[in-house]
Amino acid sequence: MNVKMTLNGEPFSAETPSDSLLVDVLRLNGFTGTKEGCGVGVCGACTVIVNEVPVASCIYLAALAQGQDVWTVEGLTTKDPALLDAFVEKEGMQCGICTPGQVVSAYALGIENPKASESEIREFMAGNLCRCTGYVTITESVRTYLASK
Amino acid sequence: MLISSPTSVEGALEELGNENTLAVGGGTSIALMLKNRLIEPDRLVLLNKVPTLSGIDERTSATVRIGATSTLLELMHSPLVNAALPMLSFASSRVGNPRVRSVATIGGAIIHGDPRQDLPPVLLSLGATAHIVGPSGERDVPLSEFFLGFMESAAGEDELVTEVTVPRVAGQRTHYTRFTPGSEDDYPTVGVAIAMTLDSEGTVRDARIALGGVDSTAILATEAAALLVGHRPSDELIAAAGQSAAEGANPSDDQRGSESYKRAMVDVWTRRTISACLAG
Repeated sequence: MNVKMTLNGEPFSAETPSDSLLVDVLRLNGFTGTKEGCGVGVCGACTVIVNEVPVASCIYLAALAQGQDVWTVEGLTTKDPALLDAFVEKEGMQCGICTPGQVVSAYALGIENPKASESEIREFMAGNLCRCTGYVTITESVRTYLASK
Repeated sequence: MLISSPTSVEGALEELGNENTLAVGGGTSIALMLKNRLIEPDRLVLLNKVPTLSGIDERTSATVRIGATSTLLELMHSPLVNAALPMLSFASSRVGNPRVRSVATIGGAIIHGDPRQDLPPVLLSLGATAHIVGPSGERDVPLSEFFLGFMESAAGEDELVTEVTVPRVAGQRTHYTRFTPGSEDDYPTVGVAIAMTLDSEGTVRDARIALGGVDSTAILATEAAALLVGHRPSDELIAAAGQSAAEGANPSDDQRGSESYKRAMVDVWTRRTISACLAG
């Protein structure tokens, strides 16, 4: 099938098998910021934004993204530089594999609840796993990003 | 595999008339089953472009209508659901993680028929009804008659659940407890959803107790609930209801607990959830 969407604010289309998952379409077309971690919608590494809400692209059929507004870490960090600045300032990353998902989830929280309290930040980010366990600096980064809004 | 994206219920039904065809709400479970080759459909019918399947509104002052493709995120944030059916908002907020909740739908949660999920027992205890549309017409099926077996429901393969209606009961007390000894985002080992009404004296007028994760479908613990009706439940009566719910459950061994452990947990969490309802 041919899947067409708005990707990071630009028109995008790709020829892909009809059972493709969004994460594969993105990565095979050069948007490798999005990572596939667990592959079952649990770890958060593959988080992207579809129509303003966070989505686990590893369990999201690419066909569902047809005609939708999709943003990946590449587009969001250009659109909203404060996002990356906050993670750099607070060193909200260690090995880096979960970082794109953390960054995209921080953006999603900024849409859903920009005034989130500390416990709301922790609750919202709970599904973004960091195997280095660098959660303190990650939540500090999210707080810094929200404060910038 | 073919993909159809109808824009109306009629269009969706036409596509569902094809062999080996599945309707897709948010597709979170279907994507996983496709990945694991548990299903190999010839065609998927995506429902996300059918506007009449979405939306939450007051059908009447006594009924909330929830379109089948309403997401769990919408259930969490809908002012109407929060005011009229707070247990449904709460349970939706406990499912998986934000990325699942923003995609997974209420229609999917019931049609998928996985007894370990949270919404089936919650909707059962609230006395919800599924509205099913198919080639031979429309019908309303109470959820108490909807779940027929593990991942089997009363909706035929060529039919569509278009909405779920939930009665709005003044003064109803509700409580949902999900017991997850492992990770918080896991399926519950046992989920207990209770809706009850009390009179001004504290006598139970009506009660429905539903259990998730302990049978091939979400189930109503009818006998346990009946024990409470007409009484101001004492600790002994609450204990008897817990015992009755545990005896009526039919759990199986898996990584979330052995059969006997789950049965014991049904007893414990039914008692605690009844007490939580009585406490207000």
